[in-house]
Amino acid sequence: MKEPPDVVLACRNIYVTYGEVVALDDVSINFRGGMIHAVVGQNGAGKTTFARTVAGLVRPATGSLEINGRPIPGGNVNDARSAGVELVHQSFALPPSFTVAEAMQFGADGGRLYTRAALERRWQAHLDALDVKVRAGAQIRSLTVEQQQAVEIARALVTDASLLILDEPTAVLSPEGADKLFERIRRLKERGVTIILILHKIREVLAVSDTVSVLRGGQLIDGPLPAADIDAETLASLIIGPSGRAIAEEDRNSLTGATPPTTDGAATTAVTSAPMLSLTNVTTLSDGDGPPLDSVDLTVHAGEIVGVAGVEGNGQRTLVRAISALADVASGTLEIDGHDMADSSLLSRRALGLRVIPFERNVEGLSLTSPLWENWSVGRLLSKPLHAAIRPDGLRRDCRAAFDDWDVRYSNVEQRAGSLSGGNAQKVILSREMDDAARLIVAAQPTRGLDIGATAFVWDALRDARQRGCGVVFVSSDLDEIFDVADRVVVMFAGRVVAEFCAPFDLATVGSAMTGAQA
Amino acid sequence: MSANFSAIIRATVFIVIALVLCGIIFEIAGYPGIQTFDAIIDGAFLRRNALEHALRWALPLFITATGVVISFRAGYFNIGAQGQFYVGAICAAFVAEWLKGYPGAVVVPLCFVAGTAGGALWALWPGLLRLRSGADEVITTLMGNFLAGLLLVYVTAGPLKDPSGSGQQASSRPLEAAYRISTSNGVSPTIIGIAIFVGLAMWFLVNRTAFGVLSGLGGRNPTMVQWQGASVWRIGLASFLISGALAGLAGTIELMGPNGRLAGGFLPAHGFTAVLIALVAGLSITGTAIAAFFFGGLASAALYLPVIAGLPSAAIDIINAAIALFITAKSRFVDRLANIWRRPWTTS
Repeated sequence: MKEPPDVVLACRNIYVTYGEVVALDDVSINFRGGMIHAVVGQNGAGKTTFARTVAGLVRPATGSLEINGRPIPGGNVNDARSAGVELVHQSFALPPSFTVAEAMQFGADGGRLYTRAALERRWQAHLDALDVKVRAGAQIRSLTVEQQQAVEIARALVTDASLLILDEPTAVLSPEGADKLFERIRRLKERGVTIILILHKIREVLAVSDTVSVLRGGQLIDGPLPAADIDAETLASLIIGPSGRAIAEEDRNSLTGATPPTTDGAATTAVTSAPMLSLTNVTTLSDGDGPPLDSVDLTVHAGEIVGVAGVEGNGQRTLVRAISALADVASGTLEIDGHDMADSSLLSRRALGLRVIPFERNVEGLSLTSPLWENWSVGRLLSKPLHAAIRPDGLRRDCRAAFDDWDVRYSNVEQRAGSLSGGNAQKVILSREMDDAARLIVAAQPTRGLDIGATAFVWDALRDARQRGCGVVFVSSDLDEIFDVADRVVVMFAGRVVAEFCAPFDLATVGSAMTGAQA
Repeated sequence: MSANFSAIIRATVFIVIALVLCGIIFEIAGYPGIQTFDAIIDGAFLRRNALEHALRWALPLFITATGVVISFRAGYFNIGAQGQFYVGAICAAFVAEWLKGYPGAVVVPLCFVAGTAGGALWALWPGLLRLRSGADEVITTLMGNFLAGLLLVYVTAGPLKDPSGSGQQASSRPLEAAYRISTSNGVSPTIIGIAIFVGLAMWFLVNRTAFGVLSGLGGRNPTMVQWQGASVWRIGLASFLISGALAGLAGTIELMGPNGRLAGGFLPAHGFTAVLIALVAGLSITGTAIAAFFFGGLASAALYLPVIAGLPSAAIDIINAAIALFITAKSRFVDRLANIWRRPWTTS
């Protein structure tokens, strides 16, 4: 085993822009070899850009990179690879129809011919050496998320990488899975691999890393600091920064994942009201868009927020689609405000007050190339017959008023929705979906990709809706925010609701339900 | 306003680039480029009665092109305007034949109803196939064009054949004079009135109805309107039917106006020119009116060139093809030029 050099990665004055947006602003940092380095920050702080720049996927406008003392020309993956840098992406890039061995071979040198058996033998040995308990002959699509990630890491290590970068590796994992991942990372460190972890939860940073560096607004705020010398509170302030918006202590903790989440003491009043939404024994057919629902029971009362937790891809999407009449209910009953709506259209459900904040803001939520006012008016227009005459001026006026209420930053309602930032785009959707007639709000990953200010804004909006007596279904894969915002939590696993918890929530119990342990 | 302006800049730049390319082709083919353009401009817009001649082609093209705009905006690439145009003309011709002898005040409106319905019918089946089973409407409407062309050949050589016809091309019996809505010069108050009515109605439909805004949103992002509860069926079917009906209406006008009879394979490029007009116009109704006039001028120049200037009328086909090429190819250069006017709108 070779002794890792003092400084494995040296970045000097790295400056990266996307159009007019400055993603990294004069970042200079050195990472020492043989350690686990965490890079933390809010969404949009430049973490992923940093990882991509080091891996050669993004060419910096100015600045230089040195790996193991050798200068690397920026913006070339092959140069970075041959210098020993490997990046494991946030979303995996393994071809689902390949076997593990094929995917790994594909990442190694491609070209040469092998028999299937030779290929699988070769990679099984590699997987075993890394203690990845996966059959080399298994198809990628048959693996769990955790196994896929382990294979990704194993693949990244095929080329004898000396610097491994993992971009938000815990985002797709259950708490238990994250612990296993950290165990794996520590073993890699023992083998002399230097690891950079892009993270956004302080708890995880403090649990696993040797040093921590904080990015905010593209700038390096501090770091690398020895993780042993820093406490959660200080780190949280570094990440959040001097915020213009007062954020409640409780929210502050959940935003940064500083401490294990506790329950929001607020509104756990005894629920006596009639259910706004009630799913009984709902089963859907497989339609190629996530696992189908399997005998799902779910009740949401007026004035409560029900969190739907679970590792992504366990049927949350199908649940939201079933409530929104976008997936057919094969059996079971679905009632909204006491009306049987299992076979009725989304429009008639919307007439009863159902509002949906969809998963994919830019695809399902907005038409990016259409003007803002059209995006905002679509619900109102759909409640009229198609041939109904409309007054665009009136709609534009109402739209401006609603945007002002919701603090949307825009210059003109004629501008394209795609020109807004993520937080503002989400506010456009909130201003459309959380109108006065809303009674049942389904919010699917409403804070994904938003910075801290926008995230807190969305949480407050959901709490306001609860205050007004709406029932809220809050789908998220982030337990911290679920525990903070929700009054009650259900956990989904493989298309089923496997557990239900009332406050106070316990991270370990809910976390183990997410892995199907209680099923 | 600014968005419209940048669309106009864009279309103009495309056309200028296309014309320069055509000039080069003309030079290579041995026709002096400048003189050829001079003759085209003269034939299209400057000579005596040129406006009238341009209108004769522009009015039916405008009506068909507004239909194309309606379906393209909604995200359905109905390129079957040619076939819908033929079927409309055929249906109108049958009604005129069956009701021969009745007064024009009865027959003419019925012909219009039949022609419009025929065009809509020829757009209905590709629409149903698309919405029910996802069959690509580009393929089905394109095939529909050939079917309609063959139907036209059959009709003019069979049921509606003019026995006295001695030409090489079979055609139907001429309409009675009472059923004609214009002389063969093709411009009459009736036709102008219909075109204005269609233009206003479609402008209103696009800009002042729920259908207009929703179909525009759905054309750009169908997923988003579905998540809002829109019925893809109703918007989609309405788009197909309106677009076919307008092409059928244009076919009826050609039959009962300038042509006065059906001929096998008449106006073979009408539907495609209409698609081109809609694209050049950036799918706006106002833009379509301007573009239709421009292409109407070119169409009338095509007849003028060989007779007066001794140039091949194919010159116009080359110009149309070149414009089509540039308007469909995404040009970064032109996009950037057009963006200069759009920039003040994009803030983050």
